[in-house]
Amino acid sequence: MTNSIDEIRDSELMFVIGSNTTEAHPIIAMEMKRARQRGAKLIVADPRKIWLAEMADLHLQLKPGTDVWLLSAMAHVIISEGLHDRDFIEANTEGFDAMAEKVAEYTPEKAEEITGVPAGDIRIAARLYATTKHAGIYYTLGITEHTHGTDNVYCLANLVLMTGHLGVRSAGMNPLRGQNNVQGANDAGATPIFYPGYQPVTDSKVREKFENAWGVGLSPDNGLNLNVMMKEMAAGKLKAVYVMGEDIVISEPNVTKVEVGLNQCEFVVCQEIFHNETTRFADVILPGACFAEKDGVFTNSDRRVQRVRKSVNPPGEAREDWKILCDVARSAGYPMPDYENAGEVFSEYASLTPKIAGISHQRLEENVSGLQWPCPDESHPGTPTLHVDGPMIGRAPFQVVDYRPSAELPDNEYPLVLSTGRTLYHYNSATQTRRDAGPVAKQRSNFIEMHRSDARKLDLKHGESVRVLSRRGEVEAEVWVSPRMRPGCIWMPMHFAESRANLLTNDAGDQVTGTGEYKVCAVRVEKLSNR
Amino acid sequence: MNYPNQKRVETFSIEINGRSCRAISGETVVDVARREGIEIPTLCHDTRLEPAGACRVCLVEVEGQRRLQPGCAWKVYPDMKVTTESGRIEKHRTILYSMYMADHQLDESGLPVETGNGNQLRELCKTIDPLPLEPVNAPRAGRPDDVNPYIEFNPDLCILCARCTRYCDEVEAVNAITLSNRGGETTIATAGNRGLLDTTCELCGGCIATCPTGALIEKKAPENLVTLQTEVTRSTCNFCGVGCQLDLHTHNDRVVKITSPEPGETVNDGNLCVKGRFAYDFIHHEDRITTPLVRGTDGELHPASWEQALTAVANGLKSVKDKYGADSLGFISSSRCTGEENYLMQKLSRAVFGTNNVHQCAAT
Repeated sequence: MTNSIDEIRDSELMFVIGSNTTEAHPIIAMEMKRARQRGAKLIVADPRKIWLAEMADLHLQLKPGTDVWLLSAMAHVIISEGLHDRDFIEANTEGFDAMAEKVAEYTPEKAEEITGVPAGDIRIAARLYATTKHAGIYYTLGITEHTHGTDNVYCLANLVLMTGHLGVRSAGMNPLRGQNNVQGANDAGATPIFYPGYQPVTDSKVREKFENAWGVGLSPDNGLNLNVMMKEMAAGKLKAVYVMGEDIVISEPNVTKVEVGLNQCEFVVCQEIFHNETTRFADVILPGACFAEKDGVFTNSDRRVQRVRKSVNPPGEAREDWKILCDVARSAGYPMPDYENAGEVFSEYASLTPKIAGISHQRLEENVSGLQWPCPDESHPGTPTLHVDGPMIGRAPFQVVDYRPSAELPDNEYPLVLSTGRTLYHYNSATQTRRDAGPVAKQRSNFIEMHRSDARKLDLKHGESVRVLSRRGEVEAEVWVSPRMRPGCIWMPMHFAESRANLLTNDAGDQVTGTGEYKVCAVRVEKLSNR
Repeated sequence: MNYPNQKRVETFSIEINGRSCRAISGETVVDVARREGIEIPTLCHDTRLEPAGACRVCLVEVEGQRRLQPGCAWKVYPDMKVTTESGRIEKHRTILYSMYMADHQLDESGLPVETGNGNQLRELCKTIDPLPLEPVNAPRAGRPDDVNPYIEFNPDLCILCARCTRYCDEVEAVNAITLSNRGGETTIATAGNRGLLDTTCELCGGCIATCPTGALIEKKAPENLVTLQTEVTRSTCNFCGVGCQLDLHTHNDRVVKITSPEPGETVNDGNLCVKGRFAYDFIHHEDRITTPLVRGTDGELHPASWEQALTAVANGLKSVKDKYGADSLGFISSSRCTGEENYLMQKLSRAVFGTNNVHQCAAT
């Protein structure tokens, strides 16, 4: 997020796209509800009539995967009506003309045909967004989990830049992070192209710094992203995997292929707190610790580094994961330093990472609400809002984006579009939440949401069992006839190991990030008769 | 366009108990007093909610006003003069607290009972010499048949301040609970008196957190929570990316309750969702993996010592690397784990095994 969570309550306008905030980020949604009740405008763009859409001024119920059309048409309206911020563009950006020429093709009328959103609504949304000062964009995986996810993000960035909604309180561009430490994992360098703090592995100066710090030579080549790793594993080229804290056989797209890959692997290590679908393939399982049993930091969506503190001991022989990783390194013959505690690990990490150089466990003891990076030195108070003095580096480039359809579109054989996601009551592979009474009482087993017109065509009643099939697999689930859906679209949560949504999903990945297309694949629904 | 969120702000001074205090337009007497360290008792007040002035505990004298006024709802204006302690206010509090006590469950000492979630009324009543009033025992109905696993309502401890129903309306905005009936029968109810699972309730438990008297409590917490010696550890929630701060209450090496820090202190402003507040049974679940496991020649996983398991991991990865090269290895780190652990995982991948094939689970 360029801005902070507590700024949301003072918004004048919130543009929420591809985020079912009340279910995926309930506490951020509370801030949005608070802003709404104080009079802020709310525009929601989502194929489903989600909870927030009910309280929105405008709900743009687009067809899944048509975001580039919707957002480019909004840009078209803003520029053709002269609502863009010329001073900001002049001072801070580059490439405006090329982008403007491109979006000139995206008229609201043509966008209506593609997205299903009335041209008038697109115009109203564009005008409201462009003419309101404290207007923030909030998005999450509904934007990124597409083969054109990066294009979607570029389109949003274009809107932010052309209206100058950057470096302003309660505005900006705000991806809401799906997991407790997505931000922190990326920051710490758990990415194939960056060392900690987004320092490129291909930059020889950076590499030299890390070689000196770690005392070994390092690979100059970019690694494989997770999506490609899974495919290389299935192709028999990746021969061993070490999986910490993820159930890849539930969470990755097209999991049949992942299972094929794991079967072919010569060596699989899992570091886990529960047995899950992936540990079935493990050669060694290392028992780790959950958040309550260890020290460290999580970094949340608004770049806020906050402490995790040990309150109880791990069960049995289980150990803190940071200690396990050090022990593995030592067993492999690497002289990992004898860190006394997690704080010392953090100090080493911070000493190599300018963005967080001013943060330490000790400072976090004094700052109860955490510290937001960039925080380059110990006297720096942290940065709640980014880009207050313009872009951090040079000029911000506008991006020219061409619409590309999703990788797999519905046809006669598989006539429905499936999107998947998270519900309020469960969490991802649900090894934690399915062990608690409340989530289970609310959602015991897998379901699909379906519009009543589609249900009628298939002669389905609410609560009936169905089989959902895609080109990659099939699962059984209950039908929930839901007024939230668009006709032609169904939705399924990803939480249920015995009925895995990711047997169906498409593993086609975004060209830049490799993120799988969880939000669009073609499926067919069949009634399970005589049950 | 006129946006109510971006009001013009004026500062001026007011006088509280003869002391000059800086105040901002739109603030209430309680807002200013709290900032200045002047204690005004409240029960129905919550900074996240619109002032209700319901409990009458915060009544103060405002110069020019014939009656006492509720400090939590009374907006400041330039040069106003407020008195928060006087014989008149003391008399009012004695009568008010005594009336609350007449309609409240009391313990052997004659004070409002203590609960696992505290009871602020009990603390207030300790400050007065209560009047000998007849017990009222108003016939408020509870929901004894509500099978929801988390939230319990004890009508005998309810003072009808409506913090819970206002929270449900104004903050969580699901309107699952409401004030119902009239007069002595007024109670906190759901539509049709249904169990919470059959309402719009999302089980966030915010009603429990905001209740000042412990009339709403966690069903999950141990029954003897009142007397249990617990330690509290501040930490960060392990579910979504909001980064809510939690207080983990532990006893005997077990988490027995999770609460939020006070409103205003942290990013979650006193709020939590159903997962953050209640979904902690997994921590001590019997299914936890408690020992390293190594697959034997029989194809089954067998318990092993840490030394055996670590050697197996190192040898397994090294032999694949020797055979096929470093880039035949893949390291999948976790956005569920800490920053330090992610740092160490990429260091393991890069420095120990020589490959940049490291990514984290949220990448796809």
